Amino acid sequence: MTAVLPWVTLVVCLAITVARIPSALRGENRVVFYIFSLISLSIFISIEAPYLVIDGWLGGMNIGNLILRFLLYATFFFMGIKIATAFGSQSAVRAIRGPVGITVAAIVGVLTIYFFLITDTRGSSAGMSGLVWGPSLEAYAFMGRFYPGFVAACLVPAIWRTVASQAPVLLRVASGLLLLGLSLLLLSQLFPLIPFSEAWLRVLINYSAAMFTCIGLAGIWFSKAVARRKRRLST
Amino acid sequence: MPLPSKAFQRWLHGVAPDASTADVCRIAGIKRTTLAQQLVRGKVAEPTLVSISRGFNINPVQALATFDLYSDLRGEPVPPTGCELVSQVATIDLLRAVVERSEPGSAPVARLSEPPHPTSVRNWVDAIDDGELRHRVSDTTGIAPQNFSAHLTANRLPPELAIATSRAAGVGPAGGLVAGGLITEAEAGWPPTARREALDRMSQSELVTLAGERLLALGKTLRRQEQDHERTERIWENLG
Repeated sequence: MTAVLPWVTLVVCLAITVARIPSALRGENRVVFYIFSLISLSIFISIEAPYLVIDGWLGGMNIGNLILRFLLYATFFFMGIKIATAFGSQSAVRAIRGPVGITVAAIVGVLTIYFFLITDTRGSSAGMSGLVWGPSLEAYAFMGRFYPGFVAACLVPAIWRTVASQAPVLLRVASGLLLLGLSLLLLSQLFPLIPFSEAWLRVLINYSAAMFTCIGLAGIWFSKAVARRKRRLST
Repeated sequence: MPLPSKAFQRWLHGVAPDASTADVCRIAGIKRTTLAQQLVRGKVAEPTLVSISRGFNINPVQALATFDLYSDLRGEPVPPTGCELVSQVATIDLLRAVVERSEPGSAPVARLSEPPHPTSVRNWVDAIDDGELRHRVSDTTGIAPQNFSAHLTANRLPPELAIATSRAAGVGPAGGLVAGGLITEAEAGWPPTARREALDRMSQSELVTLAGERLLALGKTLRRQEQDHERTERIWENLG
């Protein structure tokens, strides 16, 4: 199942991205379209077959993985700001875009490059799972999990307030799915506790996180469309 | 705590010994799956019993009274107090009454709309509350005060809680069931003109003060709804 899950996730994200093209062309919330494109691209690069091809072009030193990390950082930066604004949490917007957030992002970015450089990364392998895992690679992987986790932690309270509020049911369900996706990212901070033999569990958590986040975001869009339609029909 | 399904089936057998489940559901206008599910779970919801009673032309209050949980309902119906009656007048009807009283003959007397209203439950509890009622209810039923408040805000009153509340307030047992929308005022034994008469008995100052209180509460509710609406719109504006 963990071999199929990445592809399923990719198809779902791509479908949502394509579905957003018309509204992006009309100029409605282009940022959301870019966020979905970034997520789809990140998922695409993270899957073994495309990863090996792309990393092959880049010299087979897992620079592809480094690019993937920064794609994810960018995705979470923009997505975090957008979601925090949407859910009306000024404190979360400040935490992500303010001095603290920029500092965290900068430190994570610099340390990611640093740990990448001091590790022997020769030999393409998706998720760098084929390499010898020393402390520097562990630290590199930790950075990759930490920033998305940081953004997720900033967003969880505001989203939870909406899930527990009197908002329309569809919106609450969609927000709940988004919350579930982001919570899985928080859970992924515990990855070092998962033994190597149970690597499928990491794959499961990572891709379900992406899947629930995307479905949640798309669900919010859907709930809006449903509400608009209902309003049109009732007037 | 809904009705135990064993006792419910005994009751149903007494009411409609020959009717099949399908007949019962058709006559009562309820879904077969709903009833089946409730029977399997061993707990039948009160509205199901009320629908079936109505379908078979039985007074739902008397039907409920056959269950031990609702033994308070047995015997002659206790007449509602004036406050209870007025609490079940819709705010808009109350405002109309203020206008009628201030400008006699200006508008024809409109019929009062039937309870429940959007704030029936809170109005009823406020009307019978001596200041300590909520504490007594939470002491006897074990319901946390904030959960009781949540029911009031949502304009919900589970039947068992309604009974416990009226018992704690020392009023007739059926009032809460009317406010919660389980039964109609006629089924509770309230005379059809009782609410209008209670309204007419109020002095103008009482009427205006009550209308003012209702408007204040309505303003709060509307403000909360508007804020919720704004929050929803902001989410859709940013992510939709």
